[in-house]
Amino acid sequence: MVICSDAFKATADAMAEVQGAPGYVYVTTPHPVAGLTPEQVRERAESVAGEVARLLAE
Amino acid sequence: MSNEPDPDVAREAIEYCYEQGWTDGLPVVPASQSRLDEFLAQTSRDADEVLWRMDHLGRECTVRTAAINAAMAGCLPEYFPVVLAAWDAVMRDRAAKGGGWQSTSGPAPLIVINGPIRHDLSVNCTGGIFAGGFRPNATIPRALGLMLRNAFGVAPHVFDQTTQGIPGRWAICFGENEEESPWEPLATEMGLEPNANAVSCTLTRTYEFVDNRHTQDPEQLLNDFADTISRTGVMIFRAQSAGIVFCPEHAQMLANAGYSKTDVKDWLVEQCGRVEADLRRAGKDAVSEGGFGGRSASEEERVPGDVFTPFLPGRQSVPIVVAGARNAAISMVFRVFGEWSNSSVEIEPARSPVQAAKGG
Repeated sequence: MVICSDAFKATADAMAEVQGAPGYVYVTTPHPVAGLTPEQVRERAESVAGEVARLLAE
Repeated sequence: MSNEPDPDVAREAIEYCYEQGWTDGLPVVPASQSRLDEFLAQTSRDADEVLWRMDHLGRECTVRTAAINAAMAGCLPEYFPVVLAAWDAVMRDRAAKGGGWQSTSGPAPLIVINGPIRHDLSVNCTGGIFAGGFRPNATIPRALGLMLRNAFGVAPHVFDQTTQGIPGRWAICFGENEEESPWEPLATEMGLEPNANAVSCTLTRTYEFVDNRHTQDPEQLLNDFADTISRTGVMIFRAQSAGIVFCPEHAQMLANAGYSKTDVKDWLVEQCGRVEADLRRAGKDAVSEGGFGGRSASEEERVPGDVFTPFLPGRQSVPIVVAGARNAAISMVFRVFGEWSNSSVEIEPARSPVQAAKGG
């Protein structure tokens, strides 16, 4: 399961390809993440939790 | 019939290299098998030896691939042992092993050459060490950049995630000005025999010069360096490493005042840093709590504003080199991206006569 900020999509897609999994589906969250407060990180986690659960169940 | 090479044929070969995606934006020198053989003849290392493997990308670089890229970078064959030593030296850097090449910082390898080979290869050690104009200084670091691009596929916008990068990222290579340095050469300080031909290399994050032709007081001069080293903008973690490429004039002034290299390092370790209030003003107070965490600004004042946070963990975090011309008191502060290995790599002796005159 991969979660990354949307600024790193190009690298994530390329990584999937060299790892032999082109088109690998992952979850993104808006960039930036580095400067968020712990509370904002918690909000981010909640916002992607549903999608993470859905992908894990697939 | 003229013996001059045909520029149109050369241009076609250069354009072919562009079409293959092999260049860093500037033209490369098309490499032939015979040229590759000349490079490989300069080293005792097997052409199939793997110099490095990036497991996460499933790619590796062999001595052969390094030679092809060194040739394309415009190196002469006799530079090749230096390229190999530079690669080995930078890969001793923990950050280079750990994905630093793909960092958003876009770190640049800083390559310092010591020993008589500086003269054999016409490596610039004096005026304009950061300013271009010399073949080995320009092509040896470029070879590393091409190896990264062509062997590992670390190219901009994909695996190279550089946000802005460092100006001259693949062009920072010079010889130490051993003749005008008052101190022992870097490679000797790192434990190699005096006069050893050696390369020291680390990944770096910024370059800022200190122009001080204003004082004869060594402490005032060191304070000017401390001010640059202590700027908050470069802070990302608490522990950082900053080196200095001293011009001969600054180095000699300090040495004449009785400072050894170690004395200079110890002085900077003690003095470089900021008080909590300064860090808080820049949103970097959480950094002072240490470690790799604490990047976000804290909401409340956690420690008194006058508490001093030193930036340099110890003298091993302050590499010092002497290079440049003796015509002005201008030196360069640089930031080590991760952690310098504090070591130098000996350059394998040339296996055929060095043709220094061709160095240009």
